[in-house]
Amino acid sequence: MEVIKADVAIVGAGGGGLRAAIAVAERDPQLSIVLVSKVYPMRSHTVAAEGGAAAVTQAHDSLDAHFHDTVAGGDWLCDQDVVEYFVAHSHEEMVQMEHWGCPWNRKADGHVNVRAFGGMKIERTWFAADKSGFHMLHTLFQTSIKYPSIRRLDEHFCVDLVVDEGRVQGVVAIEIATGEFRLVQAKAVIIATGGAGRVFRENTNGGIVTGDGMALAYRHGVPLRDMEFVQYHPTCMPGTGLLFTEACRGEGGFLLNKHGYRYLQDYGLGPADPSPRNKAMELGPRDRLSQAYWHEKREGRTIAGPHGDVVHLDLRHLGEEKLRERLPQICELAVQYLGVDPARQPIPVLPAVHYTMGGIVANGRTAAPLPGLYSVGECSSVGIHGANRLGSNSLTELLVFGKVAGEEAAAYAKTVPHGSAAAVAALADDARGHALAPLAREDGNERTSTLRREMAQSMEDGCGIYRTAAAMQATCDKLAELKERSRRVRLDDRSKGWNTDWLLAIELGYQLDVAQAIVHSALQRCESRGSHQRLDDYEARDDANFLKHSLAYCTGTGAPRIDYGPVTITSSPPGKRAYGAAGEQAEAERLIQQEAIDARVA
Amino acid sequence: MPASPETIDLDVLRYRPEQDEGPVWQRFAVPYASDMSVLQALQHIKDEQDGSLTFRWSCRMAICGSCGMMVNGRPALACQTFLRDMLPGPVRVEPLAHFPIERDLVVNADDFIRKLESIKPYLIPKSPRSLADGEYLQTPQQLAQFEQYSSCINCMLCYSACPQYGLDDAFTGPGVLALLHRYNADSRDGGRAARMEILNAEEGVWSCTAVGYCSEVCPKHVDPANAVNQNKLNSAMDYFLRFVSPRGASR
Amino acid sequence: MNGKSTVRRPYVRPMGGWWRRDPFFMRYMIREATALAVLAYAVVLTLGVVRLAQDEAAWNGWLDALRSPASLLLHAVLLVAMFVHAKSWFEIMPKTMPMLFVGGRRVAASTITRIGWAATVLASVVLIALAWGWRT
Repeated sequence: MEVIKADVAIVGAGGGGLRAAIAVAERDPQLSIVLVSKVYPMRSHTVAAEGGAAAVTQAHDSLDAHFHDTVAGGDWLCDQDVVEYFVAHSHEEMVQMEHWGCPWNRKADGHVNVRAFGGMKIERTWFAADKSGFHMLHTLFQTSIKYPSIRRLDEHFCVDLVVDEGRVQGVVAIEIATGEFRLVQAKAVIIATGGAGRVFRENTNGGIVTGDGMALAYRHGVPLRDMEFVQYHPTCMPGTGLLFTEACRGEGGFLLNKHGYRYLQDYGLGPADPSPRNKAMELGPRDRLSQAYWHEKREGRTIAGPHGDVVHLDLRHLGEEKLRERLPQICELAVQYLGVDPARQPIPVLPAVHYTMGGIVANGRTAAPLPGLYSVGECSSVGIHGANRLGSNSLTELLVFGKVAGEEAAAYAKTVPHGSAAAVAALADDARGHALAPLAREDGNERTSTLRREMAQSMEDGCGIYRTAAAMQATCDKLAELKERSRRVRLDDRSKGWNTDWLLAIELGYQLDVAQAIVHSALQRCESRGSHQRLDDYEARDDANFLKHSLAYCTGTGAPRIDYGPVTITSSPPGKRAYGAAGEQAEAERLIQQEAIDARVA
Repeated sequence: MPASPETIDLDVLRYRPEQDEGPVWQRFAVPYASDMSVLQALQHIKDEQDGSLTFRWSCRMAICGSCGMMVNGRPALACQTFLRDMLPGPVRVEPLAHFPIERDLVVNADDFIRKLESIKPYLIPKSPRSLADGEYLQTPQQLAQFEQYSSCINCMLCYSACPQYGLDDAFTGPGVLALLHRYNADSRDGGRAARMEILNAEEGVWSCTAVGYCSEVCPKHVDPANAVNQNKLNSAMDYFLRFVSPRGASR
Repeated sequence: MNGKSTVRRPYVRPMGGWWRRDPFFMRYMIREATALAVLAYAVVLTLGVVRLAQDEAAWNGWLDALRSPASLLLHAVLLVAMFVHAKSWFEIMPKTMPMLFVGGRRVAASTITRIGWAATVLASVVLIALAWGWRT
């Protein structure tokens, strides 16, 4: 097998991976970087993000406000020291992106514009039309071309990490075009492979978002943290699940039930102002909005459609000009895929899986417990999202922690030599053998696509917006069955080059591992918090017993073992999570209490 | 009003280099639905009928640029091309024209990637600025000068539309030249001189004969034909100015 | 390992007859062909200038030739070709120009095309009026 030696290997070339690569290159141009991605970088799913990236910008905003919005948005499951670092470093990263050419939307005076977003007290979301992720990804990719020390292995599918002598030694990847295996022997590895939304049936994600890196780390004993927290984005296209950005609501859109009523006011998010009010109504946090939909549906107040029950996202009152300037892409999406002109008709929407808050456990410096391993982005759980992510925090996360991961990996790589070539090569050969198993199998009787479909349906049934022990247990059982059946998959395609049938079978393995981590973590969290809501005996938040992170450990081929880890609280003790008018009152009370504490301290 | 058909036929150009001599047509029947895209039809074939059918795709919403292919002889994104517009079928699906076929609907994109990397596609700041100084100022009007050209999703449909590229792949091509123009037109950028040599070359703007099909097929309305052809004047002026100014406008 | 893959065998499709593959290419080739019509007419006019420089008999001979049925047919064909030439050129003309803004709004490609036609019509009217006036 061909061996490529590098100081730092990065798996995944989306926003996080590219930012990390640039950080390594800037930290020390002498370090060699290999960037491995199963797709060309500009196809990474960062490209589909629409709304924007948050950073404290306006004079009347504060790090404290962003901190509190994030921690409350995460229902107090965030590691507050990491959130403090995050909010403090967001603005400089956004300016860095601007210096690299990102075409941020501007005010008339030439300064960058910011817009309102769900769960944020003050407008702080930088945006580039309604294609912020697209512009950020292309800016990062094109900027990365400047650095000769970044070598890309495009369309290389990673099948394993190499771990020896208790630390990471590199990755093994398949060159998709030829089916050849390549070993990237590296001193540090950064995983930036994105989320795992495709384990669910209806999702906003691209086909590539299959939890590959999460599974790779998991299989080597690194726990996956807080996997039960899966975000349902409230406004998605029926049928395909494609995203209608939160910015629709930030610009003033309404959500209406079948009676044309702004129903969110009945769910603690009111009163219903005609113009958008931060942290209220349609600008409430995503988990609350998806939960409201669920209740409306149960009460029969949603509108039946060919692809499920919908509510209406009404943007008509924004006017053609504003729609064209601020939301051009969603207008095209609505017209082309639904035949709906948002200037004249409301858009039918429903919640779909959008983001996995959990992921590879990472400390505040993105390091995994396994030396030499780092993770960044949606595949990672660095501690800023907690039980529910606020919109526009994840794009900023890629930059802030992409830089940290790059710098940490670079620093680590300088302190260690490459491992034993013979030992590493032998491990790589093992990895190749495992990966070739589906190709070698003659007597299978299962189809990858069937198993994938059954997994996705089961996850929707068991890990939906509201969960019950019985449904989650059924999904646990189903996944165990699917895992066993997946060992009997028979491929249609026997070729070596461009065999996506084979790669999809390997991907299915990753997805089943991650799905198990999700549902078992969910079953054992006996409370409701953020995006994990239960309808059985555990309908309330239970800080006494569950103010802690879940950790899913791989036990071989069976179900994961769930353990727990502490949450770091610094300045924000768990409080009432309130939005709308109730939220304003809670915020006022909190500020009075804070002033009292500050006065006593002074 | 004719009832919707139950199924529709797709004629797909297959190519499995390990077993086929050359490309060969294969017909598939897929269940029809009025909101079904060509991509969904291909996914159905792969999932239910023939797992060896190979094609690139990801986002399903015309932003990642993966799923470019020829549909009824025209470059298109499969995720954004709907079966209802091609009734009664059969729908002809082939890999993107003017690129070598690797396998089924997958083409070799190396040339495009190489060209993209060659044009200095990054901001070369006109004046330095530290992070502490904050953002460069840029008015909405200045943003409008290049924003359109920055919308390219690298889907390569324009290369399939361009006969000059098909006849001689030395041509830098519409999409990459549009990206080059994006940076030249950005008020923060000062790298125009550094990129002039690429524009001026025979394989630069001068291989373009203003066919204009690239802009027709572009799913993001980038208008690469405009980017390339407006630079013919810039290139010509640069050439003549080099006689006027001994240092040369582009050196 | 010799490094060369035996699995990849990229297939290059031939370009022969490319312009027949798509109606857009056919229209492009017709556009390009109309340049020959322009060339033909330039030859006719040049011949006229040459004849004018010779003597009155030569000049009158050329005018008579212009009036022949074959010539009228040729000119009818050339006129149609010129029209197609102008139409396709005005359609592509906006692509050659940088972005124009008037009063803060982007000038549309169709506007530029229409201005081209307007200028053509105006110039034609003026020339025909002059030529008519000269005759009378």
